[in-house]
Parts: sequence; C-alpha cells; structure tokens
Amino acid sequence: MWRIEPSTQFEKDLKWYEKKHPRELAAVLDNLHRYFEQIKAARHPRAVQAGYMHHEPHGVVAIDQKGGGKDLRQTRLYTFAEADARLLHLITLGGKKEQSADIKFSSDFVKSLPAT
Amino acid sequence: MNPTLKKTPAKPSGRRYTSVSDLLRGEKVCEKVQEDVAGRAAEKKIATLLATLRAQAGLTQQDLAAKMGRTQGSVSKIESTPDRDITLGIIQDYAKATNSAISLTCGKPLNHVQAVKNHALGIRHSLESLANIAQKHDELEPHIQGFFGEAFFNILSIMAECQDRLPKTREDFEIRLADTEAAPLPTGRRDRKNLKASR
Repeated sequence: MWRIEPSTQFEKDLKWYEKKHPRELAAVLDNLHRYFEQIKAARHPRAVQAGYMHHEPHGVVAIDQKGGGKDLRQTRLYTFAEADARLLHLITLGGKKEQSADIKFSSDFVKSLPAT
Repeated sequence: MNPTLKKTPAKPSGRRYTSVSDLLRGEKVCEKVQEDVAGRAAEKKIATLLATLRAQAGLTQQDLAAKMGRTQGSVSKIESTPDRDITLGIIQDYAKATNSAISLTCGKPLNHVQAVKNHALGIRHSLESLANIAQKHDELEPHIQGFFGEAFFNILSIMAECQDRLPKTREDFEIRLADTEAAPLPTGRRDRKNLKASR
C-alpha cells in the first residue's frame, strides 16, 4: 500500500503556508491528492502524467497550484515517489523565487535517502 | 518558518499517512484548509477517477487522446474539469478507451447498510445468471461449479474477517471458518428442505 511521508522541512513549510497562503496550500494539496490517486493506480510512478506536474532532476516531481483558482501565487510542492518502498516523500513547499534552491534542496534530500 | 530562509538538510519525519486527508488531520492543519481541500476534491471526483483509470490502463494522456480522437490538451483539460462539466459521452469514451466498466450513481450516497444490500442483490443476480448458463452449457458447468465454491469461500472469509473487527460484546453470534471436511452443499429441493428442518 502506498503511503505519504512528510519530511521535517515540509512540516515547517506546511505551518507557514497554512498561515500565510492558505488558498495556494489548498490548491497544491488538491493536486497532491489527485497525483497520489494516480500513483496508487499506475504500474510505476514514472508513468503518471498531469498538467500540474513538473519533472525535476533525480526523480523529483514538483506539483503546482494549477486549476486551484485565479490570482494564486505560483507555488510548488516537491515530492519523490520511492517505488520499491511505496512511499511518496513530501520534501518541501516553495514559491517561484525559491525554485532553483528548492530543486537543489530536493535533489539533496533524495540522494540522502537510504537505498532500498 | 518562512521558506525563503535558508533550509537546513531535511530527513523523513517517520510519520506515514495513507491519504492526503489523513496527512492533514495528522499534521493538525487548521480545519479551514482541510475543508477547502476536501471541497475541491469533492468537486472533481469524476475527473480524478478518469485520470486514475487512465493510469491504471498504463496510458499517457497522448495515448488516450489518440484512442478517443482528441488532442492531449483536451484530455488534460477533462482530467481537471469539475464534475458538473463532464458529460456522459466523455465517461463512455474513457470507459471504452481504457477498457474499463464505470458505474455512476447520482444523488444521495448510499449508507453502508444500503450499500451492502445493494451489493448482495447484485451478487445474487450475477450468480443466478451464471447458474442459468451452467444449465444450458454442459461444458461450462464444472467451471461455474468451481467458481461458486470459490465465491462461497471468499464471501464467508470476508464476513469472518469483518466480524472479527466487531467489539467482542456478544458471544451468541460468530462466524468461523474451520479446516474441516465440508458437508455437500444442498442441491435439490429435498436437500434444502432437510437443511431448513435441521436449523
């Protein structure tokens, strides 16, 4: 069974977004729900495809706020699906400005995961 | 914490969740955000189901678009459309292209008891149809007999498993599956009469 595991950073980001950008957070989490449903159904997470997904290096997938309403700040939730362990890691949340730093941060997180 | 600040290396928190709603409850996200997320998900239940069927069939949006005679962009749009804008024609197209059966129920959702009764009626209807097929086609009879045995065991196993989860307050009702030699199933009218009498 697939499970979701937040990182220690994601938990901090979640609290910040909940207070400062709740609409963006809800939009991203709605897309996360749809992404997770597809992962559970697909033969491999790499086969999942949707307009709100962005493929980043080291298997990181960023989920954005698309479809969540008008005038929303660009927001991305960085995830990594560990197929063998059936775990979807939620790494960090960030805006457009922090994008390159967040991608680097997420890649480092994936590299630090123990091999399964 | 403002995420624009430099982040220290993160590690998995060790807390695992089976769904997004479970995550939000577990991480104690405020109810307003939880309701917002639940409301958005409820508005796009069909679109999410269609995207899930596509993933299950191992098709990309492009593959599906080709099968449905649409563009990849229109498939992407359908999969993020609110339920009220999805037509029966689109649902039919998805069912055909993904080789799936889609059942649609509108209106007030069934409660658990109604759902069990509904499923039971459906099972009865399908088993009766199979029994009729067995009557007409001798070559299929052993397969259908075998299937009946399998279905009988599986349904009883499900009942036993679920009954195990009930609080143990009553001991006068229990279903148990034991590894004993099974008595032959009643077949004729006389057998059924005897079975009734023995109860």
